[in-house]
Amino acid sequence: MNVPASRLIEKIAITLATSLLAAGLLLTPVAAAQASPSSGSGQNVSASSHDRWLHVRVTNPGKNEETVRVNVPLELAEKVLPTINKNRLHSGKVSFDDIDCHGVDLHALVDAVRSSKDGEFVTVQSKDSDVRVAKQNGYLFVHVFEKNRPKHSQVEVKVPMKVVDALFSAGKDELDLVAALHALSSQGDTELVSVKDEENTVRVWLDSKNSTD
Amino acid sequence: MLLAKLALGFCGTVALAGVYTFHEGVMRVDEDHHNGRHVHVWVPAAIVPMALHVVPSRHLERALEHAGPWLPTLRALTKELKKYPEAELVEVDDANQHVRIRTHLGKLLIDVTEPGETVHVACPLAMMEDIARTLEARSPAA
Repeated sequence: MNVPASRLIEKIAITLATSLLAAGLLLTPVAAAQASPSSGSGQNVSASSHDRWLHVRVTNPGKNEETVRVNVPLELAEKVLPTINKNRLHSGKVSFDDIDCHGVDLHALVDAVRSSKDGEFVTVQSKDSDVRVAKQNGYLFVHVFEKNRPKHSQVEVKVPMKVVDALFSAGKDELDLVAALHALSSQGDTELVSVKDEENTVRVWLDSKNSTD
Repeated sequence: MLLAKLALGFCGTVALAGVYTFHEGVMRVDEDHHNGRHVHVWVPAAIVPMALHVVPSRHLERALEHAGPWLPTLRALTKELKKYPEAELVEVDDANQHVRIRTHLGKLLIDVTEPGETVHVACPLAMMEDIARTLEARSPAA
């Protein structure tokens, strides 16, 4: 009786040990495969539909052919920004004072833009540059075109008014970056900033992809 | 028979210890220089936060003095990054240099390639979060 019982215990022990080893193999990540730096950089894994990503791409087609690509999930930025307390950035808000604005009351300016109808607010046309600031279909547009360079430079900014409102929703001398990011996350795919000059091309845009195309 | 049981017990313990040690993956640092110098460090991720518990306070104080204000940021960043297991975060390319920061299977990977030097770092995000929590708990402000 004793011998079969001990054989049974032995079998159970072997099964248990084998199971543990198998579990170990399954649970332990294969480090070499994970850390392989040679896997394709162009892969584009779709993020879940609710994820919104802010992309920045800077290209310098000069002799060095520099390219910088940054992809940031908005939700991540919303959660991380409030933890940074450095200089003027505190709890996701940036403080500024009159000196920064050269005496311009930014809140009053934003209130005026918000309450006004769609249209062009500023149009400057000179021999050096054209500047245009307008509000249209819930977006604030800023367009700057400089003519006096070897190659013309062009800056285009398109910001949803909801984001502008959120940005100025904090106190008098503060910009609420977290609120602005939150407002931005509810926007559809859109290009926010585009800068083109003789040296660099900068593009900032928002979409649901977790990598640049 | 007794020997067989002892062997089984030993194997089981080793297997369990192995599973626990490697359940969070491995932190890797690989550095290759053109002059032939190579540095390869592989550390089980579960060991690093545990090791912090036994480091004497006086050795950590100076590090905490500088890193302390950024620990909540590191904790929040790693916690959030875990939600994005496959993401290209930063990529910088020029004629000579290539820098890439991304997440892959729960790890933060940093790859730097330049003429004569290659550095690859792989840090499990869970380990980084554990480190941030442990250090925060040991910082004077806590």
